[in-house]
Amino acid sequence: MNRLWENFFRMRHKQKDEIETILAGIPIFQDLNQRELRTIKLILHQREYRSDEVIFNEGDIGLGMYIIEKGNVCITCRADGHILAELKEGDFFGELALLDESPRSASAVAKTPTRMLCFFKPALIDLIERSPGLGSKILFKLAWTIGERLKSMNEQVKELRSGVQPDKIKEVKK
Amino acid sequence: MGYKNGGSFTNIVLFSILVIIAAAFLSALSGIVKMLIIAALLAYILDPIANFLESRSMSRTSATITIFAFFVALGTIIYLLLFPLLWEEMASLKDGFHPEEAGDIVSRLENFLVANLSFLGVKELHLMEKLQNSMAHAGDWFISHFVDAATVITSLILIPFIVFFLIKDGREFQKAFVGIMPNRYFEFTLFLFHKLNTQIGNFLRGQFIDATIIGVLSIFAMWIIGIKYFFLIGVFAGLANLIPYFGPVTGCLLAVVVSILQTGEFQMAFYVIIAYAFIQLLDNVLIQPIVVARNVHMNPLTVLLAVLVGGKLFGIIGMLLSVPLAGFMKVVVSEGILNYRKYGIGRA
Repeated sequence: MNRLWENFFRMRHKQKDEIETILAGIPIFQDLNQRELRTIKLILHQREYRSDEVIFNEGDIGLGMYIIEKGNVCITCRADGHILAELKEGDFFGELALLDESPRSASAVAKTPTRMLCFFKPALIDLIERSPGLGSKILFKLAWTIGERLKSMNEQVKELRSGVQPDKIKEVKK
Repeated sequence: MGYKNGGSFTNIVLFSILVIIAAAFLSALSGIVKMLIIAALLAYILDPIANFLESRSMSRTSATITIFAFFVALGTIIYLLLFPLLWEEMASLKDGFHPEEAGDIVSRLENFLVANLSFLGVKELHLMEKLQNSMAHAGDWFISHFVDAATVITSLILIPFIVFFLIKDGREFQKAFVGIMPNRYFEFTLFLFHKLNTQIGNFLRGQFIDATIIGVLSIFAMWIIGIKYFFLIGVFAGLANLIPYFGPVTGCLLAVVVSILQTGEFQMAFYVIIAYAFIQLLDNVLIQPIVVARNVHMNPLTVLLAVLVGGKLFGIIGMLLSVPLAGFMKVVVSEGILNYRKYGIGRA
């Protein structure tokens, strides 16, 4: 009987550790210690999606970021259904919505049965109020992450510009 | 690709039916619902204090206990310092109202009105008869609303109990509620909670601070004028200020009536009106813009109707709760419509 309980608690403990490990791999939470990660884990929402179920549509209101705990997610463009990215366990998306309330710029669809961890703006604001130190750490890393994305986007724009010939631009203009 | 959406028309219809059944069930339990609403509003007002204490490295439970300990201490101090004054005022209120003297004052007032307002067709007012009738009704009302000891004691125990758990575990309650929403609507539900927290929460806290300031100013003003029962009148004026339009007028009216009954003249009543006009001016120009967050922009007619409907359905408590509840409904409906149009909530 004791062994049964031991296994039960070990399983629960293992599951907790799995979430904390996933969180520790997300850049926004990278600087947090074990206790702070546990605090974050408590405010996250856990959602399950069926295969092909829409997580959010392009143009929907955005309130926060999603972290894939298990499964695969496709980020698609509504206009042509073109797949922009395929994300897997441990990946995250929608972090820009933590800062503004603009509509989602693309749709997200679960490709397989998926379990998500959701971190939303109200939870972040609440965290900043009651634990300013932890809130600042997350905000700093959030700014850093968005900065990195901007740098990478600038690089891509540069590459695109240098790759396109001037006469081709004229042709496109015509 | 054939993507499935979590929500559908059937879900919306089922959800609406559930809401209607829940509303009918809640209206059947109106007493408990009233108590829950009061507790929720108090928890809303006190929540930032708990957050502040948490930011000073306290656990949520310790922060909630600290807030309650503070209010118990404050209650004890008020009981020890202000209760004798309140008791004295209550006793003098009981002794100070002599029927003969009051009758004399009322008949003088009637003569004054008939003499000065005859051009308006004022002839016989029978004020004393009307006053006696209204006093009898007031007595019935007072007994039915306040002397029901069982209800008062139950409320006094249950409301703080509910407030305690709403402050301590409010986040978990909210998370559990959002957890049962379908995937399609869960982010929007959180968005609504977020809007309600920022708009209604700030509004309520502002109103609470505003009422306290108005109460203190009224006590001070009535004390300077030298009116009897200044403490009771000030507390009443502060509470009444929570009811838009009717509240401030009622607060002033009570003071005017007491001043006329006290002196039998209109000079003191004139000072009272001046004092209340000044307090209202101060409230509208200085206090409200600073402390009351004007986040819930509501049409004055909507506010007026909400107060009237609240008063008709649930009496004074209904009048007090009508504005925050109307604000709550306004945020839910307006954000629902806005997001339906703008972001396509419910789109297949």
